[in-house]
Amino acid sequence: MVGGSSKRLRELAVVAATLIVALIALRVSARNPGELSALDRGILRLVSPGQAAMSYVARGITGVAGRYVELKGVRAENEALHRENRQLRTELMEMRRLAEESGRYQRLLGLRDATPAEMIAARVIAVDASPYFRVARVDIDRGEGTVRRGMPVLTPEGVVGRINRVAGKSSDVLLLVDPRSALDVIVPRTGGRGILRGKSGENGYRCSIEYLARGEPVKEGDAVVTSGVGGAFPRNLAVGHITRIIPGAVGLYQDVEVTPDVDFARLTDVLVVVAPPPAPDPDPGSHHTPGRGMAVIK
Amino acid sequence: MRSAATLIVAYLLLILQSTVLELAPVHMAVPSFGLLVVLHVGLSTSKWTISSAAVVAFVTGYLFDLVSGAPQGVHAFVFTLMALFARALTTRVAVNGIVLGAATSFVASLLSSFLVVLVRAQVAPEGGWGGLRQAPLEAVLTGIVGPFVLSLFRRLDGRVDTARSRVGLARGPHGGGTSMSMSLTERR
Repeated sequence: MVGGSSKRLRELAVVAATLIVALIALRVSARNPGELSALDRGILRLVSPGQAAMSYVARGITGVAGRYVELKGVRAENEALHRENRQLRTELMEMRRLAEESGRYQRLLGLRDATPAEMIAARVIAVDASPYFRVARVDIDRGEGTVRRGMPVLTPEGVVGRINRVAGKSSDVLLLVDPRSALDVIVPRTGGRGILRGKSGENGYRCSIEYLARGEPVKEGDAVVTSGVGGAFPRNLAVGHITRIIPGAVGLYQDVEVTPDVDFARLTDVLVVVAPPPAPDPDPGSHHTPGRGMAVIK
Repeated sequence: MRSAATLIVAYLLLILQSTVLELAPVHMAVPSFGLLVVLHVGLSTSKWTISSAAVVAFVTGYLFDLVSGAPQGVHAFVFTLMALFARALTTRVAVNGIVLGAATSFVASLLSSFLVVLVRAQVAPEGGWGGLRQAPLEAVLTGIVGPFVLSLFRRLDGRVDTARSRVGLARGPHGGGTSMSMSLTERR
């Protein structure tokens, strides 16, 4: 009887200790968001290869399924022609896929050349494991150790977000649509400025602009770009378009909804800005040694 | 051995959850596989003591926090609470069969979503209380896959028992090997 109650007490003590450890972990992460302990980094180093492999397999299956759907409609009278046709189509599809991939890389290269900042490429291996935290995980083949928390992440379509946690080759990207994300933006048509924040509670990928003055004559369809304030994000990068101006706002600011230009559900490759754009040359006439950024790339 | 096997399968399911969006037509929600692991350890009173269920739930939640990019501790805390919820549920309802398995997974997913948003509001207040609109869809998906994943884990437990009995280690949750050995003998 006594043994039974002491065992029960021990059980309850373990449960209580587990809950306390969880609460301590919560408190630590609330104080230092983005900080990872050595244990966390070790676990992530173990987990990331599995995610990368699974992501690779998933993309392969999607490609095969897509090809199957396209091939299903093909009917040939002659069996030989049918086979040949199928083979040619498969090859064509493969070529298209390669061309699309090549185009994607070219667009990434184009963005890298056009943006006055030093960037490295990364591959997305996981997106949105939890619908309550909009985070993507990226794998960096080269440049391990250069990525830091807060660095911007881009695609040719626009801004993706910024690095939140780093663990070896893989990093977590806090997407623009996460409510914890905040980015200084402007509406170029009117010059209005505000803070873009992820919109929680939405089933789609949406953001809103906070602190946009009521007097700003923005309208649906207006482009939204980075302001460059803060120095981390280069200026004039595409962010999204205004899709709704919510009526009935009171006070100094208006309520504006923005749809990002990036399709977060189909992220595959991204660029991480590892060095900010160089400061404007105060004396453009004389030439100095190249600094970081565009001069380094070119 | 049972905990290690369960955590390995949990790890694989969490990786599947974080990459399944590549295949899924619905990009906004995926089934919560991590929660189903927790439900299994919480509901299986004959195999898991409450302390081992809580520890496995904590580790699964912590792993999910790392995989999903959530602040550390959010899912670790919520999943531990969910293991206790499941254990409390077993005192009132015997969760057997597809319908009850699906219903339990659905309700647990809704409750877990609410708790995650509640804890998130404390840890990252800028996230606010939003996000619950996704909860019903996630709960439906979890309810659909729930019975199958729970059945998979029951099979896994059965395999572990068989392996343990082969090496003479068969033990129930309370340290005695008699009950499992007897049930195996009876089955034979």
